[in-house]
Amino acid sequence: MKLSSIFAKTIFDQRRSFLGWSLGLGVLVIVMAAMWPSVRDMPGLDNFVRNYPAALRKLFNLKTFRTGTGYFNTELFSLMIPALFLVFGIGHGARLIAGEEEDRTLDVLLSTGCSRRRVMVEKAAAFVVVVFGLGLVLVAVTLGMAWVLGMGMTVGDVVRGGLAMVALGVEFGLVAFAVSAARGRRGVAIAVSTALAIAGYVLYVLGQLIHGVERWRGISPFVQALDHGPIGPSWSVGPAVMIGCGLLAFAISVPLFERRDIGN
Amino acid sequence: MVRTRGLTKRFGATLAVDHLDLEVAPGSVFGFLGPNGAGKTTTIRLLLGLQSPTEGTAEIFGLDCTRARDQIHRHVGYLPGDFVAYPELTGAQYLAFLAALRGGVSPGAVEGLVDRFDLDVTRRLGTLSRGNRQKVGLVQAFMHEPEVLVLDEPTSGLDPLMQQRFRELVASVRDRGATVLLSSHVLSEVEEIADTVGILRSGRLVVVEQLDLLKEHARRHVEITFTGAVPTEQLRRVTGVQELVVAGRTARLVVAGSMDVLFRVAGAAGVENVVATEASLEEILLGYYSEPS
Repeated sequence: MKLSSIFAKTIFDQRRSFLGWSLGLGVLVIVMAAMWPSVRDMPGLDNFVRNYPAALRKLFNLKTFRTGTGYFNTELFSLMIPALFLVFGIGHGARLIAGEEEDRTLDVLLSTGCSRRRVMVEKAAAFVVVVFGLGLVLVAVTLGMAWVLGMGMTVGDVVRGGLAMVALGVEFGLVAFAVSAARGRRGVAIAVSTALAIAGYVLYVLGQLIHGVERWRGISPFVQALDHGPIGPSWSVGPAVMIGCGLLAFAISVPLFERRDIGN
Repeated sequence: MVRTRGLTKRFGATLAVDHLDLEVAPGSVFGFLGPNGAGKTTTIRLLLGLQSPTEGTAEIFGLDCTRARDQIHRHVGYLPGDFVAYPELTGAQYLAFLAALRGGVSPGAVEGLVDRFDLDVTRRLGTLSRGNRQKVGLVQAFMHEPEVLVLDEPTSGLDPLMQQRFRELVASVRDRGATVLLSSHVLSEVEEIADTVGILRSGRLVVVEQLDLLKEHARRHVEITFTGAVPTEQLRRVTGVQELVVAGRTARLVVAGSMDVLFRVAGAAGVENVVATEASLEEILLGYYSEPS
């Protein structure tokens, strides 16, 4: 395969990981979906759900648990898939600049006459495309299972859910990318973006439970991603805001990368 | 062509490069010598704009190495010290990738270099030996026929035959007018190809000299066996004699500079045999290092 740009090379570098993640994500959705008919038909499910603490019922939107949409939102799209997209995004985002710098392959790349800005833009663009690709796999498998099992979800519902997951991966991945470009250390990039993700999740949870925190919860990316479903009938500006925040972090890091010493 | 003025780089409390004034003439080969940690690699990275100076300036083609680095890079070939390439790519993929980024690389030039270094470009870079990886590094540095080459420890890992081919390559690019700056702590590789040598010590340029002049001022080891008694006192008074040990009819001397007077004095006393050893660059370097800073 001929690699004619940094964009193509970055996609090429992520091909195996993308396949592995797609496979894992697909299997997860299939297995969880396969359990839905028996959950739906569980006698006493409503009583079981009613006995859950109110906070958890609210947090995981348990009142719709018996519907296909509610089941997927609770079991997959509230915690597990967001966490997977975060791990994928942060892990890959942190590696794109700092990984090359730590491996010492960046020196030659930056001496080919390509500007540092171009290196960053092409790598970030390839990263975003790959996360969207993973989102596409998620949407396709989810729709497939929903159709096979008659879970009652529309294409739009699932696309909105997938977009929310992609937005989480892109936002925190771009934050990791930005920190890795600004500092050149993968560990620092992972630590900073993971800490921000945890803080966002804590704010999301506390906002549900504590009155005083509620007015702040809107700034949590998890609220922006999950509050409207995420699989569900209404569009939200959340994913656009999240991707915008990721791009802002990226934009701030460009001049920092342009100015700093490489390979210290 | 390559010029630094008061170039200084600090890393915290460490002064890696200390007010370096360096000038490499167009169409010449400059050997940048010094032990590990002397600041060679940092100077090279400053020239490539990978790092910015704390003070002073570095210029190539009259352009500032930090501000105009992208413009400079198009006409510069760079081999980093401890060259590392993407292990999952084959040599051909890697070279094609860099050629695509650079643009304007002729396939013939790449093929010529690959043949010269007897390189198998079908193998993945991660499976190559250190020497073969270094050849890939050299090919990528030379393939766009740059006007300036900056090579950090270029022969490291190469076997003697490939070192010879590298020297021939450097000579041929110099003949077509390219300027080459190469660093080394292996002095013999510089001795054969450099026109000018700069010796770096603790971030400071101790000396810059034409290689011939450097050798002229260098110390030599001379062993003279006399037909009769050794004229010890006369020998000791000869200008340039730095050490003198006498054993029987043989005098062992260390001499700096011209040996004209020495041989006239020795000849008058009757010489049976003379063995003179040319000073290696190691000794020249040691000479500079033993001088107080």
